[in-house]
Amino acid sequence: MALEFDRSILGREFDRSEFAPVTADELIAFSRALGASQRCYVEPGEELIGHPTYCIRFRSSRFFPDTLPEGLQARMSFDAGKDIELGAPIRPGDRITVVSTVHDLYEKTGRSGSMVFVVVRFTITNQRGELVATVDNRMMYRGEG
Amino acid sequence: MAGLRFDDVFEGDDLGPVERELSKDQVRAYARAIDHDFPRFTDDEAARREGLPGMITPGNMSMGLLATLIDDWAGPGALRRLGTTFRGLVLPDRTIRLCGAVTHKDDASRSVELDVWIESDEGERLVIGTATATLA
Repeated sequence: MALEFDRSILGREFDRSEFAPVTADELIAFSRALGASQRCYVEPGEELIGHPTYCIRFRSSRFFPDTLPEGLQARMSFDAGKDIELGAPIRPGDRITVVSTVHDLYEKTGRSGSMVFVVVRFTITNQRGELVATVDNRMMYRGEG
Repeated sequence: MAGLRFDDVFEGDDLGPVERELSKDQVRAYARAIDHDFPRFTDDEAARREGLPGMITPGNMSMGLLATLIDDWAGPGALRRLGTTFRGLVLPDRTIRLCGAVTHKDDASRSVELDVWIESDEGERLVIGTATATLA
């Protein structure tokens, strides 16, 4: 049975989360864990910036809105992938805000049956209002709700 | 941040392959660094109780490894977009290869389109993706 949902939930902000200022130690620990060796990612100082994927660390306090179709949460979910568009680099002292919306919701039928994909978009900005990144998180739900 | 020059890149050029073997401690360090230290990323037994073969590498970490591949090739600041699909489990203590190829050059924006992927030692593509990088 096709999934029915209220399309007005698409694009509507459902969470806004603000984070404590980023520290140099956090940026360096992240880059080192990935094995990144470029000086701008691992050496303290004015040139230090976050690794391009450091923005993934910032997640909304609620990952999904309350308005998702009933039964979806009962299905088994998987992280199906991510898309990142990068803007201004993250620097020590930056205060990050994440605004969350449901960007897309669609259904596919595969060999294992029905799959529902929910794309949650995080729009990440810094204290100057600069866009740091747009992160689209694709979650896949399998089974019947 | 001097990086790779657009004129020095050709469609079909390879990125890597770069061979990596992630230790469990590296995976735990990454999970801690992103406040994502769920048991499936830190503890073999807990991961098995979830039906997994043992602790696994977070998908976000795989994405980070591919970003590092591109960064090491093009230079910091070049990466503008990265999209990935997680197809298989990336397990610690196994050899993986980070790979990529230039699929398109755009003269107007001096940017390149890339295919990137992580493959197992057996050649299975565990993570696939595309990326855009802007070059000098």
